[in-house]
Amino acid sequence: MVGVTVRRWLAVAVLAYAAGVALQFAVSPPDAAARALVALSPTVLLGLLVGWRRPASPAGPALAGLGAAPALTWALEDWGASYATAHPLPGALLGAYLGGGGWVLNFAGFVALCLVFPTGPLPGRRWRAVPWAFLGAAALVIAVIGLEPLGYADRGGPLPGTAPLPLGIAAFRVLDVVAGLVLLAVLGAAVAALVTRYRGGDDLTRVQLRWLMLGAGSVPVLLAAGWVAEFAGAPIAVAYTGFVAAMVLLVPAAVAIAILRHDLLDVDRLLSGTVSWLVTSLVSAGVFALVVLGVAQVSARADDRVGITAAAFVTALALLPLHRRVHAAAGRLLDRERTVMVASIRRFVGAVRDGRAQPEEVEAALRAGLGDPALRVLLRLPGTGGYVDLAGAAVEVPLENLLPLAARDAEVGALVLGRSTARRRRQARELAVEARLPIEVSRLRIELRQALQDARTSRARLVEAVTEERQRLERDLHDGAQQRILAVGMRLRSVQRTLAPDGPVHAELDAAVGGLEATVAELRRIAHGMRPSRLDEGLAAAVGDLVRDSPVPVDVRVDDADVSEAAATTAYYVIAECLANALKHAGATRIGVTVRPVAAQLHVEVDDDGRGGAVAGFGLTALGDRVAALGGRIEIVSPAGAGTLVRAFVRAGV
Amino acid sequence: MRIVVAEDSVLFREGLTRLLSEAGHEIAAAVGDADALVDAVRRERPDLIVVDVRMPPQMTDDGARAARQLRAEHPALPILLLSQHVVRQHAVELVPTGAFGYLLKDRVLHVDDFLDAVRRVGAGGSALDPALVGALLRDDGLAALTAREREVLGLVAEGWSNAALAARLVVAERTVETHMRAIFQKLGLVDSDDTHRRVLAVLAYLTR
Repeated sequence: MVGVTVRRWLAVAVLAYAAGVALQFAVSPPDAAARALVALSPTVLLGLLVGWRRPASPAGPALAGLGAAPALTWALEDWGASYATAHPLPGALLGAYLGGGGWVLNFAGFVALCLVFPTGPLPGRRWRAVPWAFLGAAALVIAVIGLEPLGYADRGGPLPGTAPLPLGIAAFRVLDVVAGLVLLAVLGAAVAALVTRYRGGDDLTRVQLRWLMLGAGSVPVLLAAGWVAEFAGAPIAVAYTGFVAAMVLLVPAAVAIAILRHDLLDVDRLLSGTVSWLVTSLVSAGVFALVVLGVAQVSARADDRVGITAAAFVTALALLPLHRRVHAAAGRLLDRERTVMVASIRRFVGAVRDGRAQPEEVEAALRAGLGDPALRVLLRLPGTGGYVDLAGAAVEVPLENLLPLAARDAEVGALVLGRSTARRRRQARELAVEARLPIEVSRLRIELRQALQDARTSRARLVEAVTEERQRLERDLHDGAQQRILAVGMRLRSVQRTLAPDGPVHAELDAAVGGLEATVAELRRIAHGMRPSRLDEGLAAAVGDLVRDSPVPVDVRVDDADVSEAAATTAYYVIAECLANALKHAGATRIGVTVRPVAAQLHVEVDDDGRGGAVAGFGLTALGDRVAALGGRIEIVSPAGAGTLVRAFVRAGV
Repeated sequence: MRIVVAEDSVLFREGLTRLLSEAGHEIAAAVGDADALVDAVRRERPDLIVVDVRMPPQMTDDGARAARQLRAEHPALPILLLSQHVVRQHAVELVPTGAFGYLLKDRVLHVDDFLDAVRRVGAGGSALDPALVGALLRDDGLAALTAREREVLGLVAEGWSNAALAARLVVAERTVETHMRAIFQKLGLVDSDDTHRRVLAVLAYLTR
């Protein structure tokens, strides 16, 4: 529907333009008609192009209208002008009455464009008054100029008879000013429509409107300037060239950029770069010239070469810092958003470098910088297929709005934008380049953390495997070797019973069985060393066994808890080692052993009243390793002469 | 006696049945796991069972658990547990009920002592391994006893009568009697002339 309406309007505008040009060829001198054709055709062609590329956008017909309005206006003016010539055209008198102020109709297309660009419907109900206001203002201007006394034959003007209104020149000057101001107000209102859209628009609309606002804003300004110039005595043609040029060149150019090319050309940066180079070059040239002149003034004897050399030197010195500042200033002025964004990210990177911020906060910094609270930073870890977030957790990768970040050839991660337009993607990419250091550091830290975690888990697995292996070996000894030896022993006894009790073989068998018995006892001892079998009854029983033979009193308080085999065994060996140390080295007279489960840990404490000064020797170091392998740690408090306290925190992990 | 032997190691089981057969006992059944033991007892109604603590199917304390189950089903059935090492908890429940023995497997090499233990348990008495008694004697409540009294107590707990005790310690039986009275007084136990009841009182004290 919209497309159909738009196409209809496009056809109307193009036909109007064609009619205007045809009229010009009919009523105007050929060169004037050709000028109109050259000046206006690009706008109309552009309107056609936009209408073809963006069939739903009213910008196409509005652009064509932008060209059609002057074509018709100029035809009207030339038609009226022919009244005063030798060969007046038919109805030229009417044209002469209307033609004096007819130029105001030049703005018809412009007002229409301002009101409908870029999406069509007016920005609000109030704006419906603007087209009517424009028609009223146009009528007012045409009437005021048409009734001006100086235009009539009795005052030397081309129109027949005397002025119909009995007002003096001065009064008409006042009416001129009033009509002019009304027209300016209406044009201002049309530009204000653009500003209103800009304020309420999304990112894309804003980008599209920014340049049109500049171009359109210049039209009323240049119109007013033209009046001032005319008042100052400039020829009418010069005075009016400005706004016409702005209208048929600047405005279409802005629309073309906004509609067709802004993604490609990225005009923001292009313009800001161009401006900064231009300003830098101008200033440099000025500095150069000033220095040359200054040198010539200061020393008349110095020849030009000294001045030029000095100037080149000074200019070269000034050039780089100057350009940097001008570039920044131009950026601030012309691409304010980008400059602010980049500065915020640079501040963040600086804060990371100084240790005031964590690199993982890069996501928050990018969100704030880009004004996109839904933005996410994803990282790709080497050797893995998917992405992880900054905390290292794997994430599902959304297909939309994904912006891959690459360093050299490898992809280091991606940004996921909450809102994605070409401009935002460009900005995000630029900010990501600024933030590449914290992003890369976050990635390395996650890798490191994961590697460390892997190492810890594998160490814990190893300890558990060793514990299990010991348990298995202990069982094998009990169930296998010991039983077989006992069976052999029983056979020997069986044989022995058939012999005479006082024979030599009888005694020999006794000795053999005794040897077997000793072997079984030895095996039991070995199995116990691998893993105290009393652990089967719990840590408390095993520790009770341990302290029974202690020559000094041991206070044992073991709260049994449901802990893993590895944790119980580790706690057991910690206690065994500490008891041995206290008895062997510390000369303790009292030892305390406490074991209690705290949260997911087993807290093991062994303290004595010995001579203290214990250092982390081999035994304690090995214990520390063993405890650490299960994700725990050991503390040793042993001031000289004041006893020793060993605390172990063992992960209970069932 | 008609005996059911439950032991998963074939070699050891054969040695055991041979030993018991040669000592004049009848082996009603020799089985290799806890479930077969329960079935055999229900079928054979033996006078005694000799049970390995660690057996299939789970290879943990299946034998001990089967023994507790059988004690509940047949309260008078004498049970002799054999184990590779002492685990106090396997014995605690059964010790005070009498007609119960708990020996390390090594003890079978002292054939006469072993057969004596089998006989005592079969007759409703006790036969506890010195290692188990050691584990039971770790009670703080025994601090009041003298070293000699503790030794006597340990031997009583193993299941010996006063006469056998006197012979082992090479003292007069009256001396043993004196020690026993002192022990019973200190531990607050009710004394009795009956060896069985006396031993049970001691075991009940030790395993409470």
